[in-house]
Amino acid sequence: MNNKYKILIIEDEENINNLLKNLLETNGYQVVCAKSCAGGKMLFASHRPDLVILDLGLPDYDGTTFLKDVRKDSLTPVIVLSARTDEKDKVNALDMGANDYVTKPFGSAEFVARVRSALRISRRSIDEGKLPGGKFKSGELEIDYDARRVFVGKSEVTLTQTEYNIIAFLSEHSGKVMTYTSIIRDIWGYNDLNSTKKLQVNMANIRKKLGDKPGKSNYIVNELGVGYRMCDKDE
Amino acid sequence: MKKTNAILKNSLITFGILCVCFSFSLVLKYIFHNSALISAVFVLGVYLISVVTQGYVYGITSALLCVLAVNFAFDFPFFAFNFTIAENIVSAIILLVVTMMTCGLTAKVKRQEAIKSERDKERMRANLLRAVSHDLRTPLTTIFSSSSALLDNFENFTDEQKTEMIRGISEDSKWLYRMVENLLSVTKLDGDNVKIIKVPTVLDELIDSVLVKFSKRYPGKTIDVYIPDDFVTVPMDALLIEQVLINILENAVQHAKGMTYLKLSVFITSNKAVFEIEDDGCGIPDAKLKEIFNGVYSSYSEISDGRKNNAGIGLSVCASIIKAHGGNINAYNGKSGGCIFRFALNLEDN
Repeated sequence: MNNKYKILIIEDEENINNLLKNLLETNGYQVVCAKSCAGGKMLFASHRPDLVILDLGLPDYDGTTFLKDVRKDSLTPVIVLSARTDEKDKVNALDMGANDYVTKPFGSAEFVARVRSALRISRRSIDEGKLPGGKFKSGELEIDYDARRVFVGKSEVTLTQTEYNIIAFLSEHSGKVMTYTSIIRDIWGYNDLNSTKKLQVNMANIRKKLGDKPGKSNYIVNELGVGYRMCDKDE
Repeated sequence: MKKTNAILKNSLITFGILCVCFSFSLVLKYIFHNSALISAVFVLGVYLISVVTQGYVYGITSALLCVLAVNFAFDFPFFAFNFTIAENIVSAIILLVVTMMTCGLTAKVKRQEAIKSERDKERMRANLLRAVSHDLRTPLTTIFSSSSALLDNFENFTDEQKTEMIRGISEDSKWLYRMVENLLSVTKLDGDNVKIIKVPTVLDELIDSVLVKFSKRYPGKTIDVYIPDDFVTVPMDALLIEQVLINILENAVQHAKGMTYLKLSVFITSNKAVFEIEDDGCGIPDAKLKEIFNGVYSSYSEISDGRKNNAGIGLSVCASIIKAHGGNINAYNGKSGGCIFRFALNLEDN
C-alpha cells in the first residue's frame, strides 16, 4: 500500500476539499489535506508529496506564496485550482513554476486526467533525465532531437529554425501549459513589444504545417490568452 | 486629462460667444446709433453660456466681463469705465441675477437628467436580477431536491433512478455554471468607466478555442466554419468575445427549432472584422427581434412555464460585451428562414 502516489491538497473550502480527497482516493492515490498556506507548507515538509493541488485563494496567504516557497528547492509538480476571476493569477502561477491549472468548476474526469498527466511528466523527467536527446512521440507526431527533424506519420514537416525551436521547447514540456512569456523567454531570450506577435505568427505556421485546424488540434492545444500546450503522449 | 479638456472646451465656448456678442453689439450700435438693444444682446449671450457650459464659473465670469464691456464700450461715457451712473449699475445687477438664475436652472435640469438615466440603469439591473433569480430557481430546485432525496432515502431508489437523478444534478449544475460565467461578464462590464483591455488576438486561435469548448458541450453538433486563410489579429478581450460566440451558438442550438446546419463565418473589411452566425432553424418572431438583446425577452414570455432558458441573459450579455468593445450586434431573420447574428469589431484599437 505504500507505493501509492501521495498527493497534497491545499484548499480551504471544506466541500471541495472532501470532494477532491474522495475523487483521488477512489482513483488509487494517497491524499493529505491542508486548509491554509501555512498548514500546506508544514505537510509538504513532513510528507514530501509527489504532487500538490493548490488553490490560489487561501485564507492566510495567497497560494502563490506557497508556490514560490516550494519552487526554491523542489520540482514537485503543482496543479493550480483557479476561479475565472483570477485569470491573471493563473498566468502568474504558471510563470512561477506551476505545472498546470484547472479552472473551477471542473469535471471529475478532466481533473483526474490532469493529475495523471502531471505525475507522468515528473516521472518521465526523473527517469529519462532532461530532454533533448532521443525522440519525442505523440500520436503521429515524431520529433528527432538529434537530427532536429519533425515528422507527421511518414512524411517530414519542413520547419524554419524558430519554428523548430518552439515545437522542441513545447515537446520538452509536453502536457504542461507554457505561457507566452515563458516561450518567448526561451526562444528569443528577450521580450519586446513584437515578441508576442512573432510567436503568434510562428505558431500559426506550425499549426498549419502540422495539419491542425480551428476546433481540431491534433498536437498543440491553444489556451486562449494563456499560452500553448503540446499534447502528451498518451492523451 | 479629461478635466483639462473640459475646462478648455468650456472656456473656448465662453470666449466664442462673448466675441460674437461683442461684434454684434458693435454692428448694432453702428446701424442704430442707440445702446438700448446692447444689453439685451449680452443678456442673451450670457444666458447661452450658462446653458451650454457646466457650473457657475463660466456664466458668472462672462456676466462680469459683459458688465465691463457694456460699461466700457456702449454706455455713456463711451470707451471709458464709469461706475457712478446708477443706470449702468442697475443693468449690471440685472445681468448678474439673470446669469445666476439660469446657471441654477440648467444645473437642476442636468441633475434631473442624471437621476433619470441612473433610474433607467437601475431598472435594467432590477430586470436582469429578477430574470436571473427566476432562472436560477429551476436548476437549483433539481439540484437541491434530488440531492436531498438521495441523502434521505438512498436505499429506496433503484440504481436507474439514482443515475437519472444524479444526471439531472450534473446537467443543471453545468447550466448554472454557464449562467454564472455570463453574470461574471456582466459585473465586469458594469459601471460607466469600464475599460476593456484589448489584446491583439489571433482569429484562428479564438475560433479554435470556441469550437473546442462548443464541441465539449454539444458533442453531436457540427459547425461549418469559414474564416480567412491569412493571419489576422483583432484587438479584443478574447475571453469575453469567446463567450459572445459561444452564447450565440448555444442560443441557436437551444432555440432554433428544426435547425439542420449552423454556420460561423468571419470576414475582414477595410477596418472591421465581421462575425456572422447563421442557422436554418425556426427564426425569431419580428416582435421579439427588437427585444432579444435587452434581457426582457426570456424573463417574461418564454419562461413562464418554468423551463430553463438563459437566452435572454446570454444575448443581453453579448450585446453589452460588444458595446463595450465599441462594436455593434444585430440579429436578422434570413430570407430562407433561420436567423443571422452579426457583429463587428474594429481592427484598429483606438
